[in-house]
Amino acid sequence: MSASSAFNDEKGGSSSVGEPEYGHDPASGGIFSSDYKRHDDLKEMLDSNKDSLKLEAMKRIVAMIARGKNASDLFPAVVKNVACKNIEVKKLVYVYLVRYAEEQQDLALLSISTFQRGLKDPNQLIRASALRVLSSIRVTIIVPIMMLAIKEAASDMSPYVRKTAAHAIPKLYSLDPEQKDQLIEVIEKLLADKTTLVAGSVVMAFEEVCPERIDLIHKNYRKLCNLLIDVEEWGQVVIINMLTRYARTQFLNPNINESLLEEGGSGDKTFYGSDEDEDEDEEEKEKKAEAAAMAKRKPYVMDPDHRLLLRNTKPLLQSRNAAVVMAVAQLYFHLAPKAEVGVIAKALVRLLRSHSEVQYVVLQNVATMSIKRRGMFEPYLKSFYIRSTDPTQIKVLKLEVLTNLANETNISTILREFQTYIKSMDKDFVAATIQAIGRCATNISEVRDTCLNGLVQLLSNRDELVVAESVVVIKKLLQMQPEKHSDIIKHMAKLTDNIQVPMARASILWLIGEYCEHVPKIAPDVLRKMAKSFTNEEDIVKLQIINLAAKLYLTNSKQTKLLTQYVLNLAKYDQNYDIRDRARFIRQLIVPTEKSGALSKYAKKLFLALKPAPVLESPFKDRDHFQLGSLSHLLNAKAGGYQELPDWPEAAPDPSVRNVEVKESVPEWTKCSSREKRKEKKVEKPFYTDSEGESGPTESADSGNFRLLALIAWSFFFFDSISSAHNRGVCLGVFLQTIAPSSALKSYELLHRITGEGLSVEYCFSRQPFSPDANMVAVQMQFTNSASSDTKNLHIEDVKLQSGMRVKEFPEIELLPAGETATAVMGIDFCDSTQAANFQLCTHTRKFFVSIQPPVGELMRPVFLTENEFKKEQGQLMGMNEITEKLTLDVKCRNEHAIVQRVTTAANLSRVPCGSDKECRFAGRTVTSGSLVLVTVATKEEGAAQLTVNCEKMVIGTMLVKDILQALTQ
Amino acid sequence: MISQVFILSSKGDHLIYKDFRGGAGNDIVSIFYEKVTALTGDQPPVVMNHKDIYFVHIRQGGLYWVATTTAGSSPFTITEFLNRLAALVKDYCGSLSEKSVQMNFALIYELLDEIVDYGYIQTTSSDVLKNFIQTEAVTSRPFSLFDLSNVGLFGAETQQSKVAPSSAATRPIQSSREQGGKSEIFVDVIERMTVVIGSNGLLMKADVEGEIRVKCYMPSCSEMRIGLNEEFSIGKSQLRGYGAAVRVDECSFHQAVRLDEFDSHRILRLCPSQGEQTVMQYQLSDDLPSALPFRLFPTIERDNGGRLLMYMKLRCDLPPKSAAINVCATIPVPKGSVSLSQELSSPDQSAELKPQSRAVVWKIARFAGGTQLSALFKLEVPSLSSASMLEVGPVGLSFELPKITATGLQIRFLRLSPIQPGPSQRWVRYVTHSDSYTIRI
Repeated sequence: MSASSAFNDEKGGSSSVGEPEYGHDPASGGIFSSDYKRHDDLKEMLDSNKDSLKLEAMKRIVAMIARGKNASDLFPAVVKNVACKNIEVKKLVYVYLVRYAEEQQDLALLSISTFQRGLKDPNQLIRASALRVLSSIRVTIIVPIMMLAIKEAASDMSPYVRKTAAHAIPKLYSLDPEQKDQLIEVIEKLLADKTTLVAGSVVMAFEEVCPERIDLIHKNYRKLCNLLIDVEEWGQVVIINMLTRYARTQFLNPNINESLLEEGGSGDKTFYGSDEDEDEDEEEKEKKAEAAAMAKRKPYVMDPDHRLLLRNTKPLLQSRNAAVVMAVAQLYFHLAPKAEVGVIAKALVRLLRSHSEVQYVVLQNVATMSIKRRGMFEPYLKSFYIRSTDPTQIKVLKLEVLTNLANETNISTILREFQTYIKSMDKDFVAATIQAIGRCATNISEVRDTCLNGLVQLLSNRDELVVAESVVVIKKLLQMQPEKHSDIIKHMAKLTDNIQVPMARASILWLIGEYCEHVPKIAPDVLRKMAKSFTNEEDIVKLQIINLAAKLYLTNSKQTKLLTQYVLNLAKYDQNYDIRDRARFIRQLIVPTEKSGALSKYAKKLFLALKPAPVLESPFKDRDHFQLGSLSHLLNAKAGGYQELPDWPEAAPDPSVRNVEVKESVPEWTKCSSREKRKEKKVEKPFYTDSEGESGPTESADSGNFRLLALIAWSFFFFDSISSAHNRGVCLGVFLQTIAPSSALKSYELLHRITGEGLSVEYCFSRQPFSPDANMVAVQMQFTNSASSDTKNLHIEDVKLQSGMRVKEFPEIELLPAGETATAVMGIDFCDSTQAANFQLCTHTRKFFVSIQPPVGELMRPVFLTENEFKKEQGQLMGMNEITEKLTLDVKCRNEHAIVQRVTTAANLSRVPCGSDKECRFAGRTVTSGSLVLVTVATKEEGAAQLTVNCEKMVIGTMLVKDILQALTQ
Repeated sequence: MISQVFILSSKGDHLIYKDFRGGAGNDIVSIFYEKVTALTGDQPPVVMNHKDIYFVHIRQGGLYWVATTTAGSSPFTITEFLNRLAALVKDYCGSLSEKSVQMNFALIYELLDEIVDYGYIQTTSSDVLKNFIQTEAVTSRPFSLFDLSNVGLFGAETQQSKVAPSSAATRPIQSSREQGGKSEIFVDVIERMTVVIGSNGLLMKADVEGEIRVKCYMPSCSEMRIGLNEEFSIGKSQLRGYGAAVRVDECSFHQAVRLDEFDSHRILRLCPSQGEQTVMQYQLSDDLPSALPFRLFPTIERDNGGRLLMYMKLRCDLPPKSAAINVCATIPVPKGSVSLSQELSSPDQSAELKPQSRAVVWKIARFAGGTQLSALFKLEVPSLSSASMLEVGPVGLSFELPKITATGLQIRFLRLSPIQPGPSQRWVRYVTHSDSYTIRI
């Protein structure tokens, strides 16, 4: 330390920035020898035995890298420390290696073996970090090693390592694109991963390596939609963008009727973008379009998968990450039916309270959206009012939005608001406001006169810029109806004496020339004054003077002939060749000579033709052909690497193509849509009951096993009926998935990771019979040790129970290594009550008080009854034992399958076959006392339904009614 | 995807440079700085490009935070990422400044390494990152009299230690881990007011945006409960309790907040992660529960000598015990005003004419509630016309109201569980700022 600071003094502070002892570029050192000395010093520190010295040296080296200085000559000394035990040092060495490995390939290879060892480490963090660094070393020679490591890591137990593997894929791809095919295989495998941690990363890899392989997404589409909400926020952004693209290729345009309309109407709308026209047209067009559409195809029905995507992304509008909110907003904008796009407005308006950079980007997008879907942002008009503290670029964007939102009803408020903006200090902003007023005036004819008067008042403003801008805007407005406003033109003619801004002067002159017939007396006088000052004018003004002269010559040659000659002569000797050209051209055209050709006859027509009024339109008008939220949209230019959003398929994508898709076939033959959230997990029960109806009642003590057998038998039945071998494989996969109970059930938290100091415990009611004691409810617990040290001797102590309750503890778990997960099953006899079982969960160091409280639906097990048996039993459980409730079913829960699914989720019951399709019946017995529980859901019109529960145990009955009611109505 | 990330000081010095994907020239940083400084205006555009490299930058803590990208990735992602990065650096280094960044090169480099992998953002959650980050933050505490005043004679604690110095909340989150530093928790209720008062004295628009920020330095805090006013209500329909309700229009919460006790008892439950986070954001428009903090009564006339007379009476309607600080009124004046003479009602005010911004700036360091100040400004304006009288106003007011919330939101209690071993301190602060307080004349 002291040596190095001494050196600094000697150097005399040649690098004035930064900590004196950090980060000196060896190359910039003045004295060569002392340079060496200092590096020796660092090397010595790196070679020492003390970790603290090594750490200090590494920190200094990293500081050099951070500031972009070269530290490559230290490579040999640093790479030696890659195997250092101290994790702090190790990490900094990794940082160094990643930076310089490419330059020092041979030496970098020395470190590879360390990483290969690291890949086998029991600690998941070390495995992951080894893989990360290994894949960051950009040395071609190790491509095979990397490939192997990625493949291994892709099937690692730890999702964190798998995630790292996903991140490594694009690195390897950029290093050696020839590995693409192998990498796609890995991506395919990782796409099938069911953990949220991996999903985001693998989609990033997919987007980089093989975005064109959209077929890989098909079978993972629904899973991604369902996982989306739990994925890490940056992953969400990538997935949403990918799904947007996917949906554009796979589904039909939900606004197909409207878009036809737009195409038809676009021809009329080019000049006047005004909205009243549009509204008028709309009805007519709608009829036409409808007729056309009717002729062409049947009415549009949204694909349920399309709906799933929209539904599952909607909650993400609440995210606190602006990027996620915007991703969802653009998804809705590009994919949702018009009627539903409105939901994004609120979320976007909320983003306006964020940092000014975010505001800027949001407003750009809002401006584009507000052109197409004005109604969406109208309720939030006030949110776009300008604050005096906003930076100019945000003010201008807000003005843009306000202008886009203006219509007949709100224009008066907007104009009042604009009036106050004109007083602002900020000149650019005032100019933009005046232009905005002009645009409002052109778009809304009712206020045109009001705006014009307001602008004319501004002409007496003391600020020249304001006046100039007003003149330019007034000119455009007057062009629309000049005959009414000759007094304004006169007023403006007077302004030529004072106003100096060239653009404004030019505008006034053009206006006078164009409408010289409305101001016959003033126009020649203006020309006279201008001729006087011609030589001192700006080029743009000179051109307009020539124009004015020409026009006056044609209309009023008596008064202005000499003046025109004079101006043209002046222009002839002007320095600017444009002006000389113009003068020559005009002289030929208007002054009759013998040589002059046929053209001069038409001179009047040429100069005084009626010119179309200019269109004042938003600069954001055509931006929506870029995907919203993309960089290209922001720049309004195609950025490198921009992928255009594909157009909707023109015709409905061939349904048979979608049938071949594997997942698509699942709901088809089960008749229960696995599109419902969590559905996959519960397909089990409808399966069983459907088949049960055919095979007749079977008494089975062990319902779980029976179910499984039935399922397998049933599945074989179906395998025969499915022709494609490919589909069979998938079916089998689905079954295996449904059989595994742990993935299918709702789990509850027993011990949080933070409370448990790294140990987290979740439990679920596995709904399997608990073999040691049939009167107990099986509780499956999953222990995860996310601490850095091992946990030993996991067991239960000090069980506190209500009288009658019993617990069968799980066998002690001797060792739970760091980063590992273990599962155990314990049995609890709850005595048919929802009392909690309290106990202590002990490790070798700590004890945690925990409790398990069962939902009432878990206190029973399914039994199998025929319809007649059910009716008979029900007849015996009347009166006090019967509870009836009327309810209105949730919209999504109006069909039989949805009802069955929800009831069986809420309670562990089995379905009783039934002749009528208006009724669903379920039966079960309480676990401890074996009392019958009978549930009937009778549906009526309009979602009305009646729920009946018959149960000897009234408490259980009442609670069950409550739970099922909740399940069915939400 | 991000190609490079770099942090520049406002003078253009390279502080941090990290290249994730390679392939960019060495001069990229200087190209960016040239581009930024070449532009005039108060804020350069967020996205700029040079050939096919796109720069996205934000400014925080007086530093440029820049990311470059080549492919068409969303500018949202990158701006949001840069904001998060700045917040993380602030959490880990304690404060955000050129100096703190310079002292923590290694730490920030390590952070960047964990946050971004090959240009892909991995995670920005400080809870997750805490497991990976090994480097300790280096802090420098500026010498402060506050710190000294806490130590009494012979090192005994004095009464003043009841108040934490304002710098207490700026320290790195990690130091508490090893050093066994004080476990503290800071809860700030910050509100920003946007008000427009019409020339007739009527309130035209009032808008309050507020947030509750928690800064946590508790290594073992698993759950924290923040109790708000019982009568706190959201939306217009719902009214709770008797007397004046505390009402907001809209409210959103951090995703870690659990609201199961919110409906019944107005209690927010959360497991705070280390560092700073915004727990709740809310917004109230139009009907404020209390009177506006300031009223201005201006009289503007021309005297015989062609001078412009502005008589300003400013009343502070806060409760008498509280006060506003750093009050500053900006009064735009006609173009060409050459000199100002002033009569102020008390000596602790000051006023000056700023010719380049064409405004009179009237500053009041401390303004007690229930009092009234007045000032007479005489402006020498050659060529004063009646039109130029219109150029006066609107008056902009900026101020800070410590210990006051405009909505009336209060924190009833702050409970931590499990009970913290050892001494732990909980601090609650309230402050209302002016975002834009405009009085039209």
